[in-house]
Formats: sequence, structure tokens, C-alpha cells
Amino acid sequence: MGRFFVWVVGSVGLASAAWLVSAQLGTAQSLADEHVKLELVSEQNALVSKEELFLGIRFTLQDGWHTYWINPGDSGEAPRIEWQLPVGFQAGQVQWPYPERLATPPFADYGYENGVLLLTSVRPPGKLREGETAKIAAQVHYLICRDVCIPGQKQLTLVLPVENHAAASPESALFAAARARIPRPVPRNWKISATSRGDEFILDLRTGRLIKVVEFFPLQAEQIENAAPQKTTAAPGGVRLHLKKSKRLLKSIARLEGVIVLDSDKAYLANVPVRSSKMSRHN
Amino acid sequence: MNRMLCPRLVIVLFLISSAHAVKVGESAPDFHATDSNGQVQKLSAYRGKFVVLEWHNNGCPYTRKHYESGNMQRLQKNWIGKGVVWFTVISSAPGQQGYVTAQQENEYLKQMKASPSAALLDPQGEVGRLYSAKTTPHMFLINPAGALVYDGAIDDKATTDQADIATAKNYVSQALQEAMANKPVSIPTSRPYGCSVKYAH
Repeated sequence: MGRFFVWVVGSVGLASAAWLVSAQLGTAQSLADEHVKLELVSEQNALVSKEELFLGIRFTLQDGWHTYWINPGDSGEAPRIEWQLPVGFQAGQVQWPYPERLATPPFADYGYENGVLLLTSVRPPGKLREGETAKIAAQVHYLICRDVCIPGQKQLTLVLPVENHAAASPESALFAAARARIPRPVPRNWKISATSRGDEFILDLRTGRLIKVVEFFPLQAEQIENAAPQKTTAAPGGVRLHLKKSKRLLKSIARLEGVIVLDSDKAYLANVPVRSSKMSRHN
Repeated sequence: MNRMLCPRLVIVLFLISSAHAVKVGESAPDFHATDSNGQVQKLSAYRGKFVVLEWHNNGCPYTRKHYESGNMQRLQKNWIGKGVVWFTVISSAPGQQGYVTAQQENEYLKQMKASPSAALLDPQGEVGRLYSAKTTPHMFLINPAGALVYDGAIDDKATTDQADIATAKNYVSQALQEAMANKPVSIPTSRPYGCSVKYAH
């Protein structure tokens, strides 16, 4: 009888624990919804056969909350988007506006406070008929944090009519703003090189103009120390940026890939081979 | 002349060593911390054993992924059974998520059926800063000679989804298997994933 009692109490205990766990998970999702709004928006109000169209996943965040860039930095997680497109539609890669540096001393993350629009181009097939509609969906997994973090998952849908011509949607201004923050290719007249010297990478950037404000956001994790100040030294027609290596970087790297932001508003995508300094005995 | 220079040199060396974050291959810095049973635990007391450090925050969704699935508890039990010392370390400052009193930690361990060798309470963040622990979880493996041989994520699926555990490569288990077989650790570092450690501001 005693053993039976223990078994019953034990089972009830396990069931309670399971309930508590599932209740907490349910609570976590409704908490995420309280702090962020996710929408699937279109730059245009209609689809036109074979014409490229920009869609966006729009995050609107409550004060104090943030989400993450493609490289989230020292903590956090980048949002993941799974598209569910009608037959024949093709989606490109997500285009990420350059992030803000989110200091969490002694570390740093990369992400977006207030909000962000993540862009993707979509190409509809030919032979769509006027009067038809297409339903586009996206499943988004994301993480929002303030002092604590809440994971979330949302299924977004958008129905667009097929027409001969498309006009700007009510959200089109958001797209222009986001596009201005998408890193563009480095101009051909620039000279960029990267050198590995001791415990730092030196990014040498020559644009032909004096550079006052510059910041580098790495695309790969654990190459540079995210929270280390990026010291600049003067160079004719440019600047040298000193990037402290991550303590978890044990091997030499072939290339340094990241976003260079000049004057806090112009972003460029850099992918630079790394050479070893002849003066250094280390990698 | 030498006797006058030495103390200054010693001070300078101390300052450099305390500012330097330990890297894989180097000697793991000694620490002492009080555990949830009131015992003071020192790393140096465990020389001759493998020691795992697991940074922990019971409210963080990444920590919860590994605890609500029973994954962390299984790892602790399995490796402690093979002679490994496994410390859970809590560096959350008072008032921050994950901060626990000794009693709360013991209740949590009981509720979660977790049996680490000890749960180290580090509310001032001394051990955390000594190792530059940045996420929960963040895992470190120290070998019997006292060298740091792994520093990084628990596994290769940086998500909050419990379903990812079954197909993930567990970096800690792999490092332990290799080191115990006297092989080099093939993946000695990785990007630790999780929530930021809630140090005092």
C-alpha cells in the first residue's frame, strides 16, 4: 500500500511538472506577441507575371526589446524565415539592413532595436492571369530580448492580386528606408586589404577621401572580439581599422567578411583576403 | 637593484594575467566559489580529473531547452559516472534572471532531477569574468593536467528547439571522448549560443 501511494504521488508529481513545463512554453509564446509585431508586407500592391517584387518581414518592437542580425554577435539568435510560395514562384536570399551594435558589457551583440524590415525579392512565374490571386506565406522563427529573451514563431500570410501593372503599396516607404541600409558592393576604385598581425586584424581601407567614422560588422562568428573598441589609425585617403581577434580563433583565416559602415550611414559589403604580417611570428 | 625591480615586475605580470581571457591550450585559471551546499569549491582541488564548467540560467530558453528535455541531466549523469567533475555555474547578479539562493538552486536541482557535482553560486560574476563566460549555456572542458581543451557551445544546433537535440553534435561529449582516448580535441572552440550571462551592470 505504501509503495502504491508513492507511485501515485510520483505520477502526480511528474504530471504536474509536465503541466508546468507546457504552461510555461505557452506563456512564452504569448509573451513574445506582447513585445513584437510581425508582418509580411509587399512593396507593391499587386503581382505582375515574371516581374520581380520585393517582400519584407517587418518586425515592430516594443521599447527596450531587440532582435538580431544575421550574425547575432556574442549572444542571441538571428531570425529564420521559411517561405511557402505558390508553384513557380522563386524567392531570393534575405537581405539584411546593417545592424546596430548592442552593448551587453563586457560583450556585444548585433541587431535591431525598434524594428527592422528584412527584404527578399520574389519572382512570380509567367502566365499568371489577371484577376487571380496568389497567397504567399512565411514561417518565421525569431528571438527577441530585453533583459531576458523570448523565442517566438509566427506564420505570416499575404494575398496579392495579379494585375498588368502594379502600384506602390502603403508600405513602400519602408522598403526605401530598409534598402538604404542594405550593404552595397565596394566601389571599384577602393582598395581594401586585411593583415593578420599578432592578436589583431588590420583592415586597411582606401577610398580616396578622409574617413572620420568607420565601423566593421563581421559576418562570421568568433573571428573578431565583438565588444573590443575598433581603434582607427590614419592612412592617406582612407583609414586603418584595428580589429581584435576572438579568443576562440585558433587558426588563421583566409578571408575577412563583413559590413563596413562609413559615417554611420553608408554600408558596404567587404570580403577581403587576409595575409599574414611578415613582422608577426604568430598567425 | 634586482630586489627593487622584482615586486613591480610581479605586479605588472599579475595585471596582465588577470586581464587576459584564457584561451584553449592554456592553463585554466584556478577559482574558488561557494556551492549550493555551502562548500567552497576550488578548480585546483580537482587536478587529475576532467572538469566541465556549465554556465547556467534557469530562465533562459536555451538553458530550458537542455533541461526540460532532460539532455543536460543525462550528460551530467553519464560523464560524472565516468569520473568527470561537472560544475553548473550561475553568474547571474542579484535581481537578474537566473539568480538563485542556495536553497532555490537545490530545489531546482531536485525538481529537474539534475545532479551536477556541484552548483557554484557566482553572483558577483568572478568566475564568469575569469573565464569570459558569455552565454547560458557556455561550456568549458579542463583536462586532468589543468589545461583548457574546449571552450564554446554545448552542441552545433544554436536554437531553442528541443527537437534539435537528437540530431545535434554534442561538442562537450565529443571533446571528452577524444581527450579520454588521448586524442587531440578535433573541435576545441565554437561560438557559444544562448542568452547573455546576466552580470551586474
